Amino acid sequence: MSWHLTHDQLHRYATHTADDVTAMSAEAHLTHCSHCRDRLPTDEAWLERSWADLRDIVDRPRPSPLERLLTALGLREHTATLLAATPTLYRAWLAATVIVLAATLALAHEIPRGTLLFACTAPVVPLVGVALAYGRGVDPAHSLASVTPWAGPRLLLLRTCAVLAPALTLCTIAALLMPAVTTVHETVFWLLPALAMVAGCLALGRWMHLSMAGGVIGGGWLLLLTVCTLLDGTDPLQVFSPLAQAGWATALALLAAVIALRVRTA
Amino acid sequence: MTTTSPRNGVRARGLVRTYGTRRALDGVDLDLGPGVTGLLGRNGAGKTTLLRCLATDLEATDGELSVLGRDPERAAERTEIRRRLGYLPQNPSFYPHFTTFGLLDYMAVLKERGGRRERHDEVRRALRRVDLYDRRHTRLRRLSGGMRQRLGLAAALLGDPHLLLLDEPTIGLDPEQRIRFRDLVSELAVHSTVLLSTHQIEDVAALCRRVLVLDQGRVIFDGTPAALIARARGRVWEQGTRPPRNVTSWRLADGRHRVLVPEGVHNPDSDERVPVEPSLEDAYLLLTGAVPR
Ligand SMILES: Nc1ncnc2c1ncn2[C@@H]1O[C@H](COP(=O)(O)OP(=O)(O)OP(=O)(O)O)[C@@H](O)[C@H]1O
Ligand SMILES: [Mg+2]
Ligand SMILES: [Zn+2]
Repeated sequence: MSWHLTHDQLHRYATHTADDVTAMSAEAHLTHCSHCRDRLPTDEAWLERSWADLRDIVDRPRPSPLERLLTALGLREHTATLLAATPTLYRAWLAATVIVLAATLALAHEIPRGTLLFACTAPVVPLVGVALAYGRGVDPAHSLASVTPWAGPRLLLLRTCAVLAPALTLCTIAALLMPAVTTVHETVFWLLPALAMVAGCLALGRWMHLSMAGGVIGGGWLLLLTVCTLLDGTDPLQVFSPLAQAGWATALALLAAVIALRVRTA
Repeated sequence: MTTTSPRNGVRARGLVRTYGTRRALDGVDLDLGPGVTGLLGRNGAGKTTLLRCLATDLEATDGELSVLGRDPERAAERTEIRRRLGYLPQNPSFYPHFTTFGLLDYMAVLKERGGRRERHDEVRRALRRVDLYDRRHTRLRRLSGGMRQRLGLAAALLGDPHLLLLDEPTIGLDPEQRIRFRDLVSELAVHSTVLLSTHQIEDVAALCRRVLVLDQGRVIFDGTPAALIARARGRVWEQGTRPPRNVTSWRLADGRHRVLVPEGVHNPDSDERVPVEPSLEDAYLLLTGAVPR
């Protein structure tokens, strides 16, 4: 080549400020001339950005399988990061839930009225999970997390969701596998008491440690079942009667309102 | 609350915190601004309690408190404080199966730090600052005690806090890392307010423009290290014989005794006793009236 692009022409081509004709002829020249290609100014900011992206891809730790699952389910990346950091007892609770539900299932198929055990345990499964989800003593990094902007009701509610999703799924599956399940009521009769007790636990958490609140509510549940059994002619399954369900629904609505108010003003 | 602090400082008036009937803080008055302030006091003096109150981790039982110009008792303002706060608790603990990078990333999310790439860049910067970048993929259960301490510090530094509260930050650090820590904190303190509790008096001497001494929940000294030393001048001696029992003293390597004589206590003249220039530690011991042997 006998001629080359001037510095000015190269600069205008690279920064997209040349007019169309000049740009086309510059481009035609550049495809043939390696000398001018080498003189083409590089976009430092663009390079730096691409380099930072590349560095982050190479250098960031692989997200855990759980995080990948959660993002695949459509959760935002930072929510997945928050949920992957679960308190120590979360996995133990999940494992215990699977074992207990499997045992109640096996029993239900073996003995008459075996579903009674399932009816008594299913409503407390989410309660136990939530009681172990937040606070000093159950969360090793609590002292670090408790003074961050995310601490408090926001993190607690997020973790409650992380408990409710598997708990409700597992209990529903177990209920469907019970012998002779035909109606919707037989599948989800435990749901309202379970949710009401979780809401009760969260509401009580305002005044006491969450695991203590869980203990109080769980104790109340046991007491209720015992009273129903001891009362003459009362079946413990009365706590799931249509009338009782209306009561659970009312309690749930009231407690949810209390919690919402607390989150708003907390 | 009527008290307000400057936007980058802390103000407390008559701060009280009780546990049951025990008054861990018993009327603390405090004004903090940019720079490093050291918090000294014997075990149980209330240092951790004070730091936790300032860090919005504990609610004060009584008194007025304003942190970064905001009221920690109001939820919305508390969250604002937390956005610009770095807190290293005493004995921090972590998720053992996390990597150092993973833990800081989690903390950065909790501190609402930007999009993923900016957050990751910030985590890398924090790891470099405490010299743990080469350990970014190490699981926390495999870290040494000092490294864990440094990781806690890195977590506190995320988000360029305006207020940094450090509870015994240099515990377990080797001398090299301790120097690095001092350098880092001095640099941060140009713009931020740093309050650090410690039993390491050398750290205070090297780092702090100001010292607070707590005793049974009360501030018994608030001033410069030089002013604390000045109080001890003329009360520190070295001598050949052991002094009376009601005077703090200890045996030195050469067999002589270093003696701290509190005000109003008589130390019988012994021939070869010589006055010596007090160290900050001598001054601190004299102030808190350390229990004689
Ligand atoms: N959670 C608690 N419950 C009851 N009492 C507590 C609690 N935390 C601290 N205290 C008491 O409050 C007082 C002050 O404790 P604090 O932890 O603030 O002391 P400190 O100055 O940090 O001591 P150290 O140098 O040992 O860390 C002590 O008497 C302690 O026993
Ligand atoms: Mg302490
Ligand atoms: Zn050319």
